[in-house]
Amino acid sequence: MDSRRAVKVYHRNVAILVGLILLVFALIPMVVTSPYILNIFVLVFYMSTLSMAWNLLGGMTGQNSLGHAAYMGLGAYACCLLVVKTGANPWIAAVFCMIVVGLVAGIVFYPCFILRGPYFTLVSIAFGESIRQIIINSEFFGRASGVGLPFGGDSWLNFRFASKVPYYYVGMIMLIAIYVLMKKIDRSKIGFALKTIREDEDAAAAIGINPTRYKILAVVISAMVAALVGFFYASYIRYIDPDLMIQAKSTESVLPAVVGGAAYVEGPIVGGLLMIPLSEYLRANFSSILPGINMLMYAVVLLVVIRFRPTGILGWYMHSRVKQWIDEKILKKPPVEVLEEAELLEYGKKEA
Amino acid sequence: MAETPMIEVQNITKRFKGLTAVKDVSFSIRPGGITGMIGPNGAGKSTTFNMICGYYPPTEGKIFYKGQDITDKKAYEYTNMKIARTFQIMKPLKNLSVLDNVVASSYFGHAGAKSPREARERAMEILQFTGLYEKRHVLSKDMGTPDQKRLEMARALATKPEMLFLDENMAGLNPAETEDAIRLIRKINESGVTILLIEHIMKAVVSLCEEVIVLHHGEKIAEGTPEQVMNDPYVMEVYLGTKKEDTHA
Repeated sequence: MDSRRAVKVYHRNVAILVGLILLVFALIPMVVTSPYILNIFVLVFYMSTLSMAWNLLGGMTGQNSLGHAAYMGLGAYACCLLVVKTGANPWIAAVFCMIVVGLVAGIVFYPCFILRGPYFTLVSIAFGESIRQIIINSEFFGRASGVGLPFGGDSWLNFRFASKVPYYYVGMIMLIAIYVLMKKIDRSKIGFALKTIREDEDAAAAIGINPTRYKILAVVISAMVAALVGFFYASYIRYIDPDLMIQAKSTESVLPAVVGGAAYVEGPIVGGLLMIPLSEYLRANFSSILPGINMLMYAVVLLVVIRFRPTGILGWYMHSRVKQWIDEKILKKPPVEVLEEAELLEYGKKEA
Repeated sequence: MAETPMIEVQNITKRFKGLTAVKDVSFSIRPGGITGMIGPNGAGKSTTFNMICGYYPPTEGKIFYKGQDITDKKAYEYTNMKIARTFQIMKPLKNLSVLDNVVASSYFGHAGAKSPREARERAMEILQFTGLYEKRHVLSKDMGTPDQKRLEMARALATKPEMLFLDENMAGLNPAETEDAIRLIRKINESGVTILLIEHIMKAVVSLCEEVIVLHHGEKIAEGTPEQVMNDPYVMEVYLGTKKEDTHA
């Protein structure tokens, strides 16, 4: 029974730590009043969520997509157009835009998954650019001038606020919800199927995984999450235009995952928390000194991370002394043997 | 024959463009036994194997599993029919731990685990059975050849097969490791799994197999018990080259 108690203590400590982190983030809007700082947090929330969507495909399935801005943009457009043209409630539009984008992604990529590796990446770039061109050239989508959402008084029903605080909380809840979803996927049958496909498609087929089916599933889930981010973005900024889908935006969705550690579900969040404030800080403080210097500095940071920590920040952290120390001293994590003994006891495979 | 063969191969031929890799091969596998497939390099063993396992469709001929035509089944449909295979060139999920490698397999097949807990439980059982339990936390890419070969078998077993195809599971092992592998294969067979194995190591074939099929230049040249096959004059000629004939095509 001892091992079980040790595991319980460890789980309790983890829960306390997570609770504390959540509490800090929940309290930030009450302490910080500057809309500029709050905006950076909102940006971190939705960009990290978008990056988690990318990570499901790029990190877990090994299919590098460079078209995630298009899913997000398409989601934003589907949502805005439904609200503007039919007067629908934006929350309903959110569900609508996720379904539309999921369907479009599934149908477009179904024939493409015969292609492996870099070809999929090329198709994803072409997909993003095609969608953007269609929107620029179509009256229905408002051409290059974009679409604006109606303004009005604060209302939860219409997800419309003058203050940034409600967006902060909704963004945070969205991030947590998607994180929990991704964590569930990571441990489930789907997750293992995707990871097996990433490692070797023939080996996947040998244990009964239909690679095409699971890759489509990954694209559809990923696109739907990106569409949800699109809905959030549109409701927050209240104006969208086709520039939302330019290639640079797709790349921005990849960076948090890669810097944070694409092999980990937490990677995009860690990367987002570091890279987005850094990018904003550089823009605010250096771009006036010499135009473009902020981008240059950002690029240097990026190169350094990729050169010295190719598996991302978490890839380093997971095997570091820092983690060992935190596990042992703060969380009181029992050794592996004790964890497993408790697991076997739990399964009833071993007598206490 | 009274009982339906586990696998029945009827006149399969495989041509790659102009090259005929396998020509008109037929044989059947009795349920419950261990059958060996031997032959020199390039004899068409792996091609035959890949055709039976759904990786290449045969150009001609038919394959039956328990009397049911499975010629056109896709590779990923096999585990649901309780058939599993290993690869000659090991395909471990390199960046996952040994345990996770087997957990992945436990989710699939006809009796795939329904929950993460069930999958982990089954994976642990399989690891104990195959003797990899002590190494469960090692990344599979960090293991040596013998353990990776073992892992191939563990991953196949986690799908709960009735028919197991082993593709050169002992290549690259030293004599002691070969002994271990033979013991494991016998244990798997005793648990009720029918086995077809390709092997170069004659000692293993002789000690394990009740029936042996010999391929040469894509054709079946002999079939029977290991003793019968080893004493077949043509097989001796192919393996030892007693006659001064050019056997190269």
